[in-house]
Amino acid sequence: MVRWRSLRWQIAALVAVASGVVALAVGLLVHRSTWERSLSLGQDRALSALLAGPDDDLGPLPPALASRLGGPDAYATWYDDRVPDVPWMWAADGTGAVKIDMGGELRNLRALDRHIVLASAGVLGLAVPLAALAAELPNRRLRRVARTARRVAEGDLEARTSAGRGGDEITAIAAAVDTMAAALHDRLRAEQRFTADVAHELRTPLMGLVTSAELLPDGEVTDLVRDRVGVLRVLVENLLEISRLDAGAESADRVEVPLGRFAADCVHRTGLPAEVTVHGDPVAGTDPRRLDRILANLVVNAHRHGRAPVEVRVEGTTITVRDHGPGFPASLLAEGPQRFRTGAAERGRGHGLGLTIAAGQARVIGARLAFENDPGGGAVATVRLN
Amino acid sequence: MSVSVLLVEDDEVIRKSVGMALERYGYRVDPAADGLTGLERFHSGGHDLLLLDVMLPGLDGIGLCRRVRETSLVPILMMSARGDALDVVSGLEAGADDYVVKPADTSVLVARIRALLRRAAPAPGTPRLVFGDLTVDPDALEVYVAGEPVSLAPTELRLLLEFAANPGIVLDRQTLLRNVWDYGWDGDSRVVDLCVQRLRRKVGADRVETVRGFGYKLRR
Repeated sequence: MVRWRSLRWQIAALVAVASGVVALAVGLLVHRSTWERSLSLGQDRALSALLAGPDDDLGPLPPALASRLGGPDAYATWYDDRVPDVPWMWAADGTGAVKIDMGGELRNLRALDRHIVLASAGVLGLAVPLAALAAELPNRRLRRVARTARRVAEGDLEARTSAGRGGDEITAIAAAVDTMAAALHDRLRAEQRFTADVAHELRTPLMGLVTSAELLPDGEVTDLVRDRVGVLRVLVENLLEISRLDAGAESADRVEVPLGRFAADCVHRTGLPAEVTVHGDPVAGTDPRRLDRILANLVVNAHRHGRAPVEVRVEGTTITVRDHGPGFPASLLAEGPQRFRTGAAERGRGHGLGLTIAAGQARVIGARLAFENDPGGGAVATVRLN
Repeated sequence: MSVSVLLVEDDEVIRKSVGMALERYGYRVDPAADGLTGLERFHSGGHDLLLLDVMLPGLDGIGLCRRVRETSLVPILMMSARGDALDVVSGLEAGADDYVVKPADTSVLVARIRALLRRAAPAPGTPRLVFGDLTVDPDALEVYVAGEPVSLAPTELRLLLEFAANPGIVLDRQTLLRNVWDYGWDGDSRVVDLCVQRLRRKVGADRVETVRGFGYKLRR
């Protein structure tokens, strides 16, 4: 596929126009000077013929020549092109006139014109492909820069243009892209290191707390402690997950997942009741751990903020989680999930992180997550894979 | 005789509480507070499984794991509070069999320990399996490459037996996670990839083939 708007063809067109203009100018100059030379030679020949003796059979002088003839001493020449392709050179003085045939000169001039046009066309025919070919090299370098920038945008921070030496503008832009990628890379790494350090600092005491709480003798107070430890743990994990997602360093680890069985397993692991219906035997290439996070968060959210029964429906590569509560608040439908914002009071308590995580994980696996309210009541979250 | 676990963990509360919790499940726990003490304790012998924290003062969990693997095939379970790729991957590369991210419930910890201690149950009278210069004896749990015995860590051996039971058949990572590590969909497929790498180093790189996008298979 030839892209006519590419830089290569723009350069070729520029070269073609420039060569055309030069050829036209040179051609016109050569044409003009040759013609002037032919005319002056013709005049000399006509005057010589006139000196040898006027031709008496010419009849009356053409008015254009007669008007040029000033006094009795003077002589004049006139180029007669009244009949196309049969030109004459007239010469006249007081005694009479002669005319000589200029057809040979005209034919010579036309042949010269043809040669100039042919030569110009030949040069154009050679110069345009050569220019297109020569433009290919900078073009290729530019394309590599564009490709690298795209790879960086897609998350490959190790991508570099490796433009090498050379002091032209392409090297400069390539170096700028590399610098940008390196800066992004450093910032992301620092962010990830910070997140990892925070994770360590939070999880270490939390693990002590979790295992110690498990060791407590059963009782009402123990239940309170365990409940709060559980809440704290989920909160810490969710915050860490969100900061990992925000750092943009997450990538999907795709395998073939049989969605029906997967959704049933996933719902089962949440420990919450939900009715799973599967149509057909859909399989999708996706990251099961991330999809599990999405579905679990949606099911937990449906129970916490909506009302049972919760229905999970798998149809093709689309999974919907539906509850029969008051539906999503208007702010969520309008702006999408916002952290720590659960919206209307009737949605109940919670940290509002579950849906943010589900949306973030959906972005990582390239799935679309949509929130809407069923006209018949209840919130409907739809995950579309691929 | 109860199972003995060497627990190396610098955080005192975790060391004590995990120790007590495991003892409730019937394990014998030998605690150590840093890497070098842990190594010393390990050399004094008698442990069935190592439970190592990654971040330890002195010799860290990854270094300790590497040192242990020089001489021993004991199952090693790492505990990481960071849970990021680098920690996990270096631990598994150093020879750990599996990892858990803190905070882990005792029930999860025990499930992981059980999965690591579960030996591949050999079917009695199973004949030796031969694949080129690789010979697997599922009865005696012995492996030979070109007639020379090769020592495999338990997880590597279980992985190889899983392959040997399905020669020439592509096994995807999820199947291997389920059958070898006892994970459901929540398992991290990197443990499979890194264990396959370690197995390849021992039985020959081309014996276990990668089928891109699907998994691995044993070349017949």
